[in-house]
Amino acid sequence: MELLHVNIPNWSDLATHWRPEVMLVGTFLLALLGDLVVRGRRPAVPFTVALVGLTMAGICAVRKLGVEGGTVMGDLVVVDGLAAFFRILFIFTGLATVLFAWTSEEIMGKKRENKGEFFALTVLLTLAACVMAEARDLLMLFLSMEAVGIVSYVMAGYMRGSLRSTEASLKYVIFGAVSSAIMLYGLSLLYGMTGSMQFEGIRAGLQTGDVNAFGLLVAVVLVMAGMSYKIAAVPFHYWAPDVYEGAPTPVSALFSVGPKAAGFALMIRFFYTTLAAGPDANASAGLIAQINWPLLMAVISAATMTYGNLVALRQANVKRMLAYSSIAHVGYLLMGFVLLTDAGLQAILFYLLVYTFMNLGAFFFVVAVNNHLKSEHLDDWVGLGFRMPWAASLMIIFLGSLTGIPPFAGFAAKLYLFTAVMDRQWFWLVIVAGLNSVISLYYYFKVAKAMFLMSPPEGADMSPLKLHWLQYTVLGVLAIPTLALGLFFGRFKGLADRAIEMMTTGL
Amino acid sequence: MTTSLPLGTVSSSMSGQFGTVLIFVLVGFAFAGIALLVARILRPSNPNPNKLTTYECGELPRGSSWIRFNVRFYLIALFFIVFDVETVFLLPWAVVFRQLYPLPGLGSLVLWDMVIFLGILGLGLAYVWVKGDLNWVKKLMERPDEVVSSDGDEEVAAP
Repeated sequence: MELLHVNIPNWSDLATHWRPEVMLVGTFLLALLGDLVVRGRRPAVPFTVALVGLTMAGICAVRKLGVEGGTVMGDLVVVDGLAAFFRILFIFTGLATVLFAWTSEEIMGKKRENKGEFFALTVLLTLAACVMAEARDLLMLFLSMEAVGIVSYVMAGYMRGSLRSTEASLKYVIFGAVSSAIMLYGLSLLYGMTGSMQFEGIRAGLQTGDVNAFGLLVAVVLVMAGMSYKIAAVPFHYWAPDVYEGAPTPVSALFSVGPKAAGFALMIRFFYTTLAAGPDANASAGLIAQINWPLLMAVISAATMTYGNLVALRQANVKRMLAYSSIAHVGYLLMGFVLLTDAGLQAILFYLLVYTFMNLGAFFFVVAVNNHLKSEHLDDWVGLGFRMPWAASLMIIFLGSLTGIPPFAGFAAKLYLFTAVMDRQWFWLVIVAGLNSVISLYYYFKVAKAMFLMSPPEGADMSPLKLHWLQYTVLGVLAIPTLALGLFFGRFKGLADRAIEMMTTGL
Repeated sequence: MTTSLPLGTVSSSMSGQFGTVLIFVLVGFAFAGIALLVARILRPSNPNPNKLTTYECGELPRGSSWIRFNVRFYLIALFFIVFDVETVFLLPWAVVFRQLYPLPGLGSLVLWDMVIFLGILGLGLAYVWVKGDLNWVKKLMERPDEVVSSDGDEEVAAP
């Protein structure tokens, strides 16, 4: 039937492949409706709806793991191993954010308005991130990126009375609009050169060899610019520190993981499918050779990690420091992109998995401290290790893992990334990354030093601080994999490997 | 599936299409130019400063137009866009609905797709209604008591 020029969408596709997403849509609508019914006065209603909905969607997504996927919505969206992997990651991130936001003064404080909306928006962001990981069509790519973007702008400006939060939101909107426009131009060039909106169609168009090399370079660079903005890679990182610092801390935690991982998922699928994949390896190698992809990515990667780490050194505000550190981590992650090999992409996925746990943990600890001290400044954190010993010890685990010290998961994750690049003789990149890890040790442990080793000034308040039980639970749940994945990573690395294998072999 | 054409065929057909556009543009200019020329030849010439004033097209502007507009205008504009887009979707849907509805397996999809879409928009309408965003006249400040907060001195009252 040539009526729609695509596979006819049908209900059964939605029910079999897209059940978690459908659940998320329902959860979002119900949370919004619930908030309206109680007139925004009882945020517990949308909170409960979001919690139950995300949990159910998460269970469903886990059960779908390893099940053969398929396309949904008439080929616009594909649910394969990659999508199934990221879907779980996003739903977990959303769930952790909802739980922690419930205990955060910044979100639930007395004078905040629209508390219920926060939970609905978190669900919506989760959904949009899932679609980003599943898009296989330029149209869906752009729509999902905009959906993530628009929800992010609203969430960044959640603290309506706060100048910092409003500033963060405005900066995010302006940067987002410009980079969307840039990317859209690149996408239109690709469509014009290949005559197809679908990633596979674009590859087929490129493989005919009838493509202007310079035009392709321009298109790829423009698309790359749009995606670099999403993942906050140098030189499109300017928004990140201000947005992370200004937004409420639970939102910063979500931003530093959710949209970033979604950006990577999209980049993996888009660039791998259009530039690298193919039945014959020679043709794909030729395509990459046209634009010197490895050098481009290696330079961006090295610049991103070096910039992030060097600027993080000088930060006195922990939240801002973590923002720069997350830029540095994007640099590490981009190492896996240099050669678009399976090993590199698998290392990215495993790193993202580990990064989700450790980065959420570090940001959530800032939330917990912020509830009591109302400050993110390192000077105010002196002696914190004795006021909240358990939570601070967990923070040491997250910081150690972010640095990449051996017993923690961050080490295993970095090891895979470094070996993937070393296998192809990119030694200078590995050396830069190694040096960067050493630099990062200094600023991560500056926090540890302030909490445990420095003596507080005379007469400082040293009363013990008590955390909400939910905060202990979430921090603990995040700390366990941060430790365990450093020692027993085989199974989860296998998960990442299979996800990439399923994508490269087509479903 | 869209077919991918080699670059050559695309560009040659594209130049053909732009040729049509070019002719259209030329004819357009010629048409307007000839009309103006004929009018200039035929009409009496009697210039008067009153003829240059704004006439039946609004008020004389006073002061600069670079002032701060009330944000409510933008809200209304956003609502308008939402329901405008709804119409844009509804119209083509209504056109093809009669053809698609009898097709097996597609009928219920086509119908319920639109019902769900309208339902989501309806929820959006209920949202702006309950939040009071449809009222043009609003209370000015709803949070008078607390100005200082967790954000310290940086916090300002909502405008």
